[in-house]
Amino acid sequence: MNHPLTKIEKRIRLSGLLIIAGLLVELITLRWSHPTAFLFFLLLGGTLMAAGILIYLFSLASIGATDERSDLAK
Amino acid sequence: MGANITIVIAVILFSIALIAWLIWRPSITATRGGKMLAFVTLLVFPLLAGGLGVNEQLAHSKTTNFCLSCHVMEDYGKSLHVDDRSLVPAIHYQNNLVPRDNACFTCHTDYTMFGDMNAKLRGLKHVYAYYIGKPQQPIKLYTPYNNRECLHCHLGARSYQESEAHTKKPQRLEQMRLNQLSCSTTDCHNNVHNIKTLKEASFWKESGK
Repeated sequence: MNHPLTKIEKRIRLSGLLIIAGLLVELITLRWSHPTAFLFFLLLGGTLMAAGILIYLFSLASIGATDERSDLAK
Repeated sequence: MGANITIVIAVILFSIALIAWLIWRPSITATRGGKMLAFVTLLVFPLLAGGLGVNEQLAHSKTTNFCLSCHVMEDYGKSLHVDDRSLVPAIHYQNNLVPRDNACFTCHTDYTMFGDMNAKLRGLKHVYAYYIGKPQQPIKLYTPYNNRECLHCHLGARSYQESEAHTKKPQRLEQMRLNQLSCSTTDCHNNVHNIKTLKEASFWKESGK
């Protein structure tokens, strides 16, 4: 924990935080019996989780691209 | 539904715990094992939890309690308890002709290939109308009620096929099957959710409630 975080670690952290927020929304809406809960689940929870997953996938893709560039430089 | 929701909650809590650990120690993703763990934690588990959540929400949205949780639906819920044998929804609900826990959905879904999905999309439209518009009582269906929904259960039943009213004219059964003659607007079964008469109505008490 003492070393500064790399770019991918920062992205993983952000991705994780967004997914946790989405999961918490899902958890709350599962216990709330109202059509509004369904909307919150879909719009808020779904968006947060999708954003988190996309950031994680983007971090994987960008690391792959960086590796490829460094291989070409060699 | 009780067991399902426990599983969904367990998956969500387990996912949160794993992700929290990953946030606390992101450096573990430098190793091969850590990368695999991150993949499972940040992709597989959230998708699994999301999918289970959608499934649970959809199942929950079919329940009578869910439909009646909106203020505008309260009178329609009351009409299920009216003590009147001519009131179509009440007679279905009180005699278990529809499952009581899913009473609204059983009659108001479309019995077609994507009927459940269409019903859910209509539900989203209801929510939009509820918050953005001003629903006027009595609320109305978007399209006339289709006989197909009644015949999903009644077609082929002896009480339906041999009923005197249904066989009075030889072509009547076929007309009803083709939705050319509506079950509900021909002075036959037109006493449906009559909320205007609720104040004068007497109510049946469900045992145990």
